[in-house]
Amino acid sequence: MSELTISRRGLLAGSALLLASTALPAIGFAQTPKKGGRLIVAADSEPRNLNPAIVASNGVFFISSKIVETLAEASFDGKDGLQPRLALSWEGAADGLSVTFKLRDGVKWHDGKPFTSADVAFSALQIWKPLQNLGRTVFKDLAAVDTPDDLTAVFKFAKPTPFQLIRNALPALSSVVPKHLYEVGKIEDNPANNAPVGTGPFKFAEYKAGQYYRLTRNDAYWGKDEPYLDEIVYQVLPDRTSAAAALEAEEIQLAAFSAVPLADLDRISKVPGLKVITKGYEGLTYQLVVEINHRRKELADLKVRQAIAHAIDKDFVVKTIFLGYAATATGPVPKNDPQFYTADVPTYSFDVAKANALLDEAGYKRADDGKRFALKLLPAPYFNETKQFGDYLRQALAAIGIDAQIVNNDSAAHIRAVYTDHAFDLAVGPPVFRGDPAISTTILVQSGIPDGVPFSNQGGYKNAELDALIAKASETLDTATRTELYKDFQKKVAADLPLINVAEWSFISVARDTVGNIANNPRWAVSNWADTYLES
Amino acid sequence: MSRLCHFFRTPEAIAGASILALLVVVALAAPLLFSGDSQAIAGPALLPPFQDWSLPLGTDRLGRDVLAELFHGARTSLAVGLAAAAAALLIGSIIGTLAGFAGGLVDEVLMRITDAFQTVPSFLLALAFVSIVGPSLGVVVAAIALGAWTGPARVARAEVLSIRERDYVAGARVLGMHPLEIAFREVLPNVLPSVLALSSVIVAAAILTEAALSFLGLGDPNRVTWGGMIAEGRTVLRTAPFLSVVPGIALVLTVLGVYLAGEGVVESAAARRSLS
Repeated sequence: MSELTISRRGLLAGSALLLASTALPAIGFAQTPKKGGRLIVAADSEPRNLNPAIVASNGVFFISSKIVETLAEASFDGKDGLQPRLALSWEGAADGLSVTFKLRDGVKWHDGKPFTSADVAFSALQIWKPLQNLGRTVFKDLAAVDTPDDLTAVFKFAKPTPFQLIRNALPALSSVVPKHLYEVGKIEDNPANNAPVGTGPFKFAEYKAGQYYRLTRNDAYWGKDEPYLDEIVYQVLPDRTSAAAALEAEEIQLAAFSAVPLADLDRISKVPGLKVITKGYEGLTYQLVVEINHRRKELADLKVRQAIAHAIDKDFVVKTIFLGYAATATGPVPKNDPQFYTADVPTYSFDVAKANALLDEAGYKRADDGKRFALKLLPAPYFNETKQFGDYLRQALAAIGIDAQIVNNDSAAHIRAVYTDHAFDLAVGPPVFRGDPAISTTILVQSGIPDGVPFSNQGGYKNAELDALIAKASETLDTATRTELYKDFQKKVAADLPLINVAEWSFISVARDTVGNIANNPRWAVSNWADTYLES
Repeated sequence: MSRLCHFFRTPEAIAGASILALLVVVALAAPLLFSGDSQAIAGPALLPPFQDWSLPLGTDRLGRDVLAELFHGARTSLAVGLAAAAAALLIGSIIGTLAGFAGGLVDEVLMRITDAFQTVPSFLLALAFVSIVGPSLGVVVAAIALGAWTGPARVARAEVLSIRERDYVAGARVLGMHPLEIAFREVLPNVLPSVLALSSVIVAAAILTEAALSFLGLGDPNRVTWGGMIAEGRTVLRTAPFLSVVPGIALVLTVLGVYLAGEGVVESAAARRSLS
């Protein structure tokens, strides 16, 4: 097994950093953590299903990752960017047909039953593979999980599966739930989905709709002296502008996932007692992408897509829409990824004259009113920034004679319009890069994906060469070769523009000075917070 | 002539009329003053007002000229307000006249439908309608009219009930005119003044409803609207309050102007009536 020689941290520091760091006071200086206290956190959504093994999404992880643990968590300096959680070690066979996990001893579920390899086997086969949104792809060839003893789980694959992919998938996809609670009845309807039982440092205590979620300390947690906090309360604050006020009034101590609007960060960083933290989201990079419906004959023309790419001023987007808390994108893998990113791809400078020339060349001359053709533009409604970019893109396209008409939808209607009905010409989407292109990136350009799969290629793009490349990479076992294939993938995507990557960004946390051990791993907001503490 | 004199007798009416006149000028002048796209990016983002005289009211999150947006927003607000009110008055007076003039079963059915519409809060009705059909200018107008026609319908019916007993209506019947002809040629014109008195309230409510819909993201996204401007400014309320305050003031002035002018019309009508 060939390994990366560059450390994750080194590359992170060396590459153009995703997040321009603002005030980063006092992160990580050594201090003895204090025990006790209640941490009150802002929550902006209220997921009903809190089972992270079924719904692998950040909204669910934010709460349930403290209750239900994964086999491994992401780490800044661990080997392969991982640190052990429920698994102590993992090893892939040379033929790619099996992966062996050694599990942690003495771990108990919150109801007192012991945690064993049977729970891992059950979670993998009954939930991750058939039911989980992301596990369906990664574990599609998982045939069996052998449990020679209580602390060993051997994943058997029907087809060679790259160990690198399994490793990269561990932090997000490997939440283990208790077999003894899930083996009876339908898994989707299990009451534990709404009141999860896990092995994590915190137990689920109560949920009051529209008000809060409360988690309490798990006194029998396997981590020594952990967790430090007695309680975590997620205060539901759906209005994004209220989180900043609640922090200032000391009603909450932490607002993660950019609950404080970017435009407020400058002001809030000057408030005494509050700190703005841009670290801790390196493993959760969102990409600002223009999705293209290739069924439109104008957009099926590469010259038109190139013209659109040239019409977008990426620096403006980063500076004005993201206020600097983002980086310009070159292709489908974000710059801050330590394993796969390559800068050696075709790029599209901001050049309106060139864009106009390309459109003229493609045969779409301006009519008397200065317009070439009209398009329907659907900005995703999930983020302020995606909506604002929609407004910007409309103006950018107007400058090259394309008349974009914005169509606003709510989340459900947007997903239906773009991913099921294909009722769009251009859409603005925020897909997530999850540490490996095979998890959720290649499906953005791969053909043959059934209608209705959200965040996949629903633009009718078909490129046999790219499809072959994706298929080859998915069964390439050697890490170096696989990485090279994905570099080639980035080049081909940037050259043929099945979609246009504009920028990549992550989240910002704002916390009171008293909260310690924040942002100490690349998925901090969705990790287990066992070592987080309160000073006073 | 005397009507105008009566109208301009009260200071409220003068104030209202001048605000409205200004608004109409602004709305008409918008495309002349700010040629091209109202949403064009004109300068650095979040420029405060009164800093740069080429952008007197500053710029928004994307660097769009707030003054240009304000002027173009006036067009949308006025267009929607007037169109929705016109539609509501038209539907209301036709239904009210039919109900009042026909009486009996037709009256019952039409009035129960009116009741049904009145029991649903008009804003909810508009919200539901726009969410289902999808936001565009025409849909917003229809949605607002949908909740606003009941008032005119009730007033029209009440007036018709008294007018249809008048001698000239009886005369028209004796002449053998078709009932519909009597209803719409003899009765309706006499009902109109009372119904039109409602118009200022309806226009003001329509402008506010449109702003509320846009604020919630259900306005036409391809047009500048004051409600949309307030909503967009809300995210930066603490750092750039002018983005919400400026369109807010415009909205208040407009509604006030419409209301005051409406009052003036009603009062001058009352004065004329008492004189004659």
